[in-house]
Amino acid sequence: MLYHAVLGGLVYGLYFTLVGLGLNLMFGVMRIVNLAHGDVIMLGAYAAWALFTAWAVHPLLAALAILLAFTAIGIPVYYLIVPRLLRARDAEMLSLILFFGLQQIIEAAATIAFGTTERSIPGRVLGHHPVRILGQVLPAAWVWAGAVSAVCVAALYLYLYHSPPGMLTRAVMSNREEAKASGIDVDRVCSLAFGIALALAGIAGVFAPFMLGSVTPAIGPDLNIAAFAVIVIGTLGNPIGTVLGGIIYGVSLMLMQTFLSAWANLLPNLLLIAVLLVRPSGLLGRRVRRA
Amino acid sequence: MRRLEIKSCIRAAAALALLVCTAGTRAVAEPPAPAVIKIGSLHAASGAYASISMPVYDGLKLWIDRTNADGGAFVKAYGRKIKLQLISYDDQSNPGTAATLINQLITQDHVDLLVGDSGSVLTAVAVPIAREHKMMLFDPTGTGAKFFTHDNPYIALLADPASTIWPKYLADFLINQGVKDGLKKVAILYSTNDFTSTQHEALVGFIKASHAPIDIVFDQGVPTSTSNYTTLIGNIAAASPDAVIELGYVGNDIAFLRNLQDSGQTFRFIFALYPGIETDEIVKNVGAQGIDHVFSYVTAQALDYKPTVGMDVATYRQAFETAYRSQGVAFGFNAIAGYTVGLMIGQTLGAADSLDQLALRRALFAQSGHVRTLDGPFELDATGQQIGEITPLGQLIAHGNTVTNVVVYPPSLATGKPVYTTP
Repeated sequence: MLYHAVLGGLVYGLYFTLVGLGLNLMFGVMRIVNLAHGDVIMLGAYAAWALFTAWAVHPLLAALAILLAFTAIGIPVYYLIVPRLLRARDAEMLSLILFFGLQQIIEAAATIAFGTTERSIPGRVLGHHPVRILGQVLPAAWVWAGAVSAVCVAALYLYLYHSPPGMLTRAVMSNREEAKASGIDVDRVCSLAFGIALALAGIAGVFAPFMLGSVTPAIGPDLNIAAFAVIVIGTLGNPIGTVLGGIIYGVSLMLMQTFLSAWANLLPNLLLIAVLLVRPSGLLGRRVRRA
Repeated sequence: MRRLEIKSCIRAAAALALLVCTAGTRAVAEPPAPAVIKIGSLHAASGAYASISMPVYDGLKLWIDRTNADGGAFVKAYGRKIKLQLISYDDQSNPGTAATLINQLITQDHVDLLVGDSGSVLTAVAVPIAREHKMMLFDPTGTGAKFFTHDNPYIALLADPASTIWPKYLADFLINQGVKDGLKKVAILYSTNDFTSTQHEALVGFIKASHAPIDIVFDQGVPTSTSNYTTLIGNIAAASPDAVIELGYVGNDIAFLRNLQDSGQTFRFIFALYPGIETDEIVKNVGAQGIDHVFSYVTAQALDYKPTVGMDVATYRQAFETAYRSQGVAFGFNAIAGYTVGLMIGQTLGAADSLDQLALRRALFAQSGHVRTLDGPFELDATGQQIGEITPLGQLIAHGNTVTNVVVYPPSLATGKPVYTTP
């Protein structure tokens, strides 16, 4: 039981890395808190469901389409919202209020569009049989979600550390004003990061019907709490630290389900409190926070 | 002459006094009939309980719309039909919001009849508030056992059997037939909310009280927000049970059954709560093959009662789907429950001597044992728990993309025999 819980938790945690990745990237680059992050994941889930239901589009293809579509949508949305927000005196606090409102609007619109009933994509689409890894049996959907998450983390790492726009992004993460002073088109860099952050959330949404059993327009807030736990554990503002946060979250959740199941839903809050009390800068600390 | 005048004056004064007295008496005994009867209710248009709340709300709304189209509900207290007005607020599946809105319905809107939201979680907050304000709570599907006590006359459960009744036939089946068929090791996984926790306690109580040779090898509660059961299913398999019983809400059952399919684990006997209640929604999400041979409750959808009031299931289903098909609200047991609440409100108004809350209660309780709706025989015990609308044990059998729910217990209602899967 312990071995299954740990291995299952590792793979499940990889998925939750993807859930938190976009949120952390957005905070790291723009210092804004996207409370609508969970609802962007929900929109990704409904997009994948709609593509599958209407045209039998495979979720992996849907993930590719959502990557492009959400990035493309994210860039104009950035110009519409963020520059104005960042000109405010307390941008972080204002972002909380603004994205909370946006979250309410997205959920209400999704409820009107899709209704309140549960929606899902058949599990067999990602494999008819479970997968055996190190002697433990795991659902094929978990393995796919974990693998796609690993690819996204690797791609983001390559983008941030081995590409020219990524280098500019890290410069903005380090100090927005200095980056602007040195001639970097900050808005252009941030808009791309904003689009990528939404796209990562959208891809996480593609796998939500498999990882959560089903989706409804109301899944956003719970996913937000999980995402916040993941990124606070792994260091707020450090996208790569999210991997550590996701894995700790996944393994802890599976261990809680195994040995203290009735209290498992307290886990995100407990982890958040514990990290904030013991190491407020996150497990990787401030040194790596600024990339 | 003068004497005659005095006599006339006395007669006129007496007649005037009589007229005034009669008019006064009439004013006290029969206040003017209200223009509308206000029915206050809550619904969850979003959040975790929306999928069980909206069908109840829509079912009630459909009954009100049809009644109003017919000129209104007959109100015995005024001897005529009066139109109904539904005042319903969205509690967003939040118990705190539900508590505030229930208060608002009572103290600000001054509703004549109070209907709770669907499910035990959102009903739990309404029970003490209704009681405090001495308002009769017409409870659609809040079945938690602790809501119903002998010292609280302000609640009645209309459209669901009490949680303590739900697992009776399941337990009887395990005790009387399961043991003979080799189902001796049982695993129970339940969500920790009033609805399923009460069923869990009742089920364990029935099994233990029977002294049948049944060993409960796994018994764990999980939060209602649980959306992944893969590790739990692995833990259950490690206990090698013959029978697995999972008690959760719709989302829990969908996740459990999907994870069970994905994990490749099989057990001889699998019971889940919602496949027999919201069959269409479960089939839509899990697939017909995903619930093939799964045991569940049999509710009104499959039992096809011949009602003494209102529509039968087939006619009602057609009406419901015509009205709400475009809104993404699935037809299932909760849709039946909402309509049943409306029917029983209609029966109550038609029998109550006044709109006083205890008079409404007397009128509602007077229906017990005398009315059959599409949900089954309406019967209340002294505390207001529903005991008439029973839930036999069924087994879902897939035929292509559809399923039928075959009653396997009790023998008097059985339409088929249980079929166990090979692990």
